[in-house]
Amino acid sequence: MRAMKAQAGISGRVDWTFVFAVIGLVATGTMAMLSAASTTMMYSAILQKHFVALALGLVLFALTLAFNYQVFQDQSKALYAIALVMMSAVLVIGTAARGHRAWIRLPGFSFQPAELSRVLVVLVLADFLDRRALRVQDFSTVLLALGIAAPIMLLILKQPDFSTALTFLPTITGMLFCAGADVFHLLFVFGYGALTLSVPLVYTLCAVRFPNALPGSLPALVLATAKMGWATLGVLLALAVLSALVWRLATWMRLQVKPLAFVVLPLIASAALLTGVAINRQMKSYQRNRFVAFVAPGSDVQGAAYNVIQSKVAIGSGGVWGKGLFSGTQSQLGFLPERHTDFIFANVGEEMGFVGASLILGLYMLVLWRIVVAARAARDRYGYLVCAGLASMFAFVMILNIGMCVGLMPVAGIPLPLISYGGSSLVINLWSLGIVANIYARRYALL
Amino acid sequence: MNRAAGGPRERLEVLWWVVAAAGAALGLRLAQLQILDSAEYRAMAERNASQMIYQAAPRGRIYDRAGIPLATNQPSFSLIFLPGKGKARQDLEPLARELGRQLGRDPQELLETLEEAEREQSAARLAENLPTATMFQLSELKTLYPGVDLITEARRYYPFGRFASHLIGFMGKMNPREWRERKTKGYRADSRIGKMGLESAFEEELRGRDGGIQMEVDAQGRLKRMLGQIPWEAGSNIHLTIDAAVQKAADEGLRKSVTGRGAAVAIDPRTGEILAMSSQPDFDPNALLSTDPEEVKRTSHDLPEFNNAIAGAYPPGSTFKPIVGLAALSEGRIRANDAFFCPGYFKLGDHVFHCWDHKGHGRVSWLMGLAQSCDVYFYNVGLKTGGALIERYARAFGLGQRTNIALRGEKGGHLFGPETRRKSGKGWYDGDTLNLAIGQGELTVTPLQLAVAAAALANRGTVWRPHYTQKIAYVDGRPDFVQKPERLGQVYATDAAWDLVQKGMEVVISSGTGYPAKIPGLVVSGKTGTAQNPHGQDHAWFIAYAARPGETPSIAIAVLVENGGHGGVTAAPVAKKMILAHFGMPDPEALREAREAERAAQRAARAASVPTRLGLPGAVR
Repeated sequence: MRAMKAQAGISGRVDWTFVFAVIGLVATGTMAMLSAASTTMMYSAILQKHFVALALGLVLFALTLAFNYQVFQDQSKALYAIALVMMSAVLVIGTAARGHRAWIRLPGFSFQPAELSRVLVVLVLADFLDRRALRVQDFSTVLLALGIAAPIMLLILKQPDFSTALTFLPTITGMLFCAGADVFHLLFVFGYGALTLSVPLVYTLCAVRFPNALPGSLPALVLATAKMGWATLGVLLALAVLSALVWRLATWMRLQVKPLAFVVLPLIASAALLTGVAINRQMKSYQRNRFVAFVAPGSDVQGAAYNVIQSKVAIGSGGVWGKGLFSGTQSQLGFLPERHTDFIFANVGEEMGFVGASLILGLYMLVLWRIVVAARAARDRYGYLVCAGLASMFAFVMILNIGMCVGLMPVAGIPLPLISYGGSSLVINLWSLGIVANIYARRYALL
Repeated sequence: MNRAAGGPRERLEVLWWVVAAAGAALGLRLAQLQILDSAEYRAMAERNASQMIYQAAPRGRIYDRAGIPLATNQPSFSLIFLPGKGKARQDLEPLARELGRQLGRDPQELLETLEEAEREQSAARLAENLPTATMFQLSELKTLYPGVDLITEARRYYPFGRFASHLIGFMGKMNPREWRERKTKGYRADSRIGKMGLESAFEEELRGRDGGIQMEVDAQGRLKRMLGQIPWEAGSNIHLTIDAAVQKAADEGLRKSVTGRGAAVAIDPRTGEILAMSSQPDFDPNALLSTDPEEVKRTSHDLPEFNNAIAGAYPPGSTFKPIVGLAALSEGRIRANDAFFCPGYFKLGDHVFHCWDHKGHGRVSWLMGLAQSCDVYFYNVGLKTGGALIERYARAFGLGQRTNIALRGEKGGHLFGPETRRKSGKGWYDGDTLNLAIGQGELTVTPLQLAVAAAALANRGTVWRPHYTQKIAYVDGRPDFVQKPERLGQVYATDAAWDLVQKGMEVVISSGTGYPAKIPGLVVSGKTGTAQNPHGQDHAWFIAYAARPGETPSIAIAVLVENGGHGGVTAAPVAKKMILAHFGMPDPEALREAREAERAAQRAARAASVPTRLGLPGAVR
C-alpha cells in the first residue's frame, strides 16, 4: 500500500522526456533488429529472446522507479560481492561462445554477467567516492577506486573480453573526474591507460610497416621490448636512471616539484609498459587484426578491414532516406558482418538512411543530456555520481560503437546499448536507466 | 536541494561538452558518408551485390552495294543453370541424364558441373551456342527443372558462307596478347573479336555493347534474384562497295579453275570502288563459329589466312605490256605502225631471249604485237623506250607500291627499273630492260595493284585508291561516314597513245590471246599474262575492263590463277564470269550446269521416291 502511494507520489516527478527518449531508442532498435536479423538462421528464436528481454527490461525499469535508489548505496558491499561471485562463476561454469567464456547458461535462458558487473561497479564506486568526499583530492582515492574495479576487470580480461574490460576505464575516469579528483591524478591514470594501449598499437605499427627492421634500429627495439625479455628490463632500467637524473637536475635548478612525481611518474610508466607488453603477448589474432586494420587500413581487405569497409559502404549507400527496412543489400545479402549485433548501426544507416541514423544519434544525445540533467538535479552526491558514471559509460560505448561503424574508431566488439541484439545487455541497460529515472524522480524528496 | 552535498558540478558540464562534441563529430561524419559521398558508396554497394550473366550483342551488319547482307547475326542459345535452394544430388541426377542425352555429353560430367554450381550457388553455363533444334527440345526442360534457363545471344552469321572470306574476315577468341590490349575496353575474356579482313579493320565500329541479366548475389556469391536485364546495343552497320554477284562469280570461278588457287579483284574504274575481291583457297567463316567444337578446331587448324589479292606478289608478266606500250607510244619512242620481225627469239650480245611462241610471229606492229603478246616486239619496244621511262610509267600506275587499303597484311611488291637499281647501288643493263619490257625479272605486283592499273587503263589515267566501304551507319547518332573516291595519282599520256593502247587491249579480246573472255554485246578489253615461276608451273594472269557499247567502262579486273599456266586459258574465263555477273547477264556455262544439276536432282528424286512408298505401310503397321 505504501509502495503504491509512493509510486503515485513520484509519477508527477518522472522525467517523461527521458522515458520517451529511451522507449524511442528501444523501439528504433527493435525495428532495426527485426530487419537485420531476418536473414539469420535463428530468426524466430532471436525475436522471442528479444521481446522477452524487452518486456523484462521495461518491467525492471518501472520497478526500479518504485523504491528509493539509496538502497543500492546501502547494499554496496552485497552488490560488489555479487559482481565478484558472478564474474568468478562465469569463468568456472560459464559456456564459451566465439572465444569468450562469457555466458552463464540457466534453464530457459543464458546471460552475460559482464554487462551487469559494469553497472554494479558504477554503483559501488559511487558509494565509495561519496564516502571519501573529503579525501577525493588524494591520489589514494584514485588508486583505491581503480583497486576496487581491478578484480572485476581482470576477471573479464580472463574470459577474455578485452573490449568490455576497456569500457571500464573511461567510466571510472568519468566518475573520478565528476567526483572532483585531482586532474593530475587522472592524467596519471589516463597516461597509464594510454601508454598501456599504445604498446600493442606501436608494436603492431612497427610489425606491419617495418617487418624487416635492422637490429639496433628503433622499430627493432620496439619489437624486442614488446617481447618481455632483456630489452624490456633494459627499458625499465633506463627509465629509472632517467628519472633519477631528472630529479637531480630539478633539485639543482631548485624547481618547486614534489619529489613524489619522480617516483610516481616512472612507476606509472613502468607499470603501463609491463601491462602493455603483457596485453600484447596475450592478444588473440583477431584482436591483432583489428589493430592492423586501424594502423594500416586497406592492408587486408578481406580481413579485419573488410568489416569497416562494408560498414562504411552500408551507411554511405543508405543516402538520406535509406533503402527501406528489409531492403538493404549490404545487410540482407550478408556483406555486413555482425549486422544485428555490433554493426547494427550500419544496418540502420543503410536501411533508414541519414534520417534514421541521425534519429538514433539524436535520441542518444537526448538520453545522455537527460542523464546529465538528472545528475545535476540529484538530491545527494551518490545519485550525482551514479548518473555521472552511467553517462560516461553510455557515452563512451556509444561513441566507440558508432565511431567504429563510420570508420572513425578501431573495431572493438562492443554492442550499441539499447539497439544491438543481446538479451542481458538490453535488460541491464534498461535497469540502469531506471536507476537514473529514479534519481531524477527523487530530486526533491526521497519518498 | 542540497548543493553542498554534490561534487564540483562544473566538472559534469565539462564532461557533457566533451560528449556533445563527440556526438557532433559523429553527426558530421554521418552527413559526409550519407549525403556528400552517398553516390560513391551506393555504386560500391551495387557492385558488391550484383553479378552479370553476359549476353553477346549483335555486331553491325555488313551489306553489299545493293543491300544484300553479307554478314548478319543469328540468335544463339546458351543453356544456363541457376542453382536454387538445397537441391540434392538425386534432384540433379535426372536433369544431368536428360541434358547429357540431348546435348550428347557425358551425364557424369554435367552432374559435376551442376553440383559445383549448386555448392557454390553461382550460375553455370552448361552449353553455349546450341543449334536451334536442340534449343526447342531443351526449352521443355525449363518447365520440368526449375533453374534451367536458356539465354539468347547474338552470334555472327555469314549467309553466303564461303564468300569473300579474306575480305570480310572471321570472328574468333582473343589470344592473350589481344586480351591484354582490350581488357579495359569493355571486352570480356570470352568475347570474340574480328580476326581478319574488315571484321578486324572495323572492329571498333562493328562491335556492339553486350547486354546481360543482372543477378543479385549475396556475400557468398549466391544468386538471390534477377535484378533486371540490360539490353544489348548492336554495332554499326557497314555498307560495302562489293557487288555480291561479281564476288560470287569471282569466288566460284577461281575455285573451279585448274589449281583452285589464286586471286581476283574487280574495281569500278570510275571511282576506285572494289566490286569484288577474292582469294583462293578460302574458308567458311561460319565453320569457325560452329556449334561443333571439332569443326572449329579443324577449320582453324588449316585456315588459309593468306590473302593472295593483297599479300601475294607475283611478276605481272605480259599484263605489263600495255603499260610498256603506253610509255613508248606516248613518249614517241615508237609509232603504232612501226613493225619488228619476230623469228621466235631475240639476240642481245651473246644472250638469246625467246619469244613465248618459239615459232615466231613474223612481222608485227603495235596491235598485232599486243594481241599476240609478242615478246620480241616488246623487246624492241623496250630497248627503244628505255628502262627509266617504263619504270616511271609503272610507278605512275601504282605498281610496286602499297595502295594502303584498309586491310591488314598488304604487300607492296617490287618495282624494278634503273632508278630503283641506282638507289641500291647496282647497275642497269639492257638485259634488264628486256625482262622489264615483258613484265618479268624482279618486278612483282599484287593482284590489287594490277586491278588498280587496269582501272587506270580503262579510265585513261586516273589511279584511284581502292576502297571497299561505301557507308558506315553509326548507331551512336554520329552522321554516317560516306566514303568518297580518292585519287592516288594520275598517269599522263597523249590521247593518241591512250587510244592505241585501249584499241590494242580490245583486239586482245576480240581476236587475240584473250578471246576466251569475249562477250557478245559488250566491249571487253584486256590483256593476258603468264608469269614465269621458277618454283613450278607458270602463274596465269588476266586483266580486263568492260563496258556496254558507247559507255565508259564500269568494271576493271585482275585475275591471277596460281600455277594456272596460260592466262588466256585459265584466268580469262574467271574474268568473263565476273563481267557477266556485273552486267547482270546470264552465264551460259552456269546455266548449262544448273540445268544438268536440276536434271540430276530429278533423277535422284524419282529413284528415291520408290523406297519411300514401299516403306510407308511398314511404318504404319
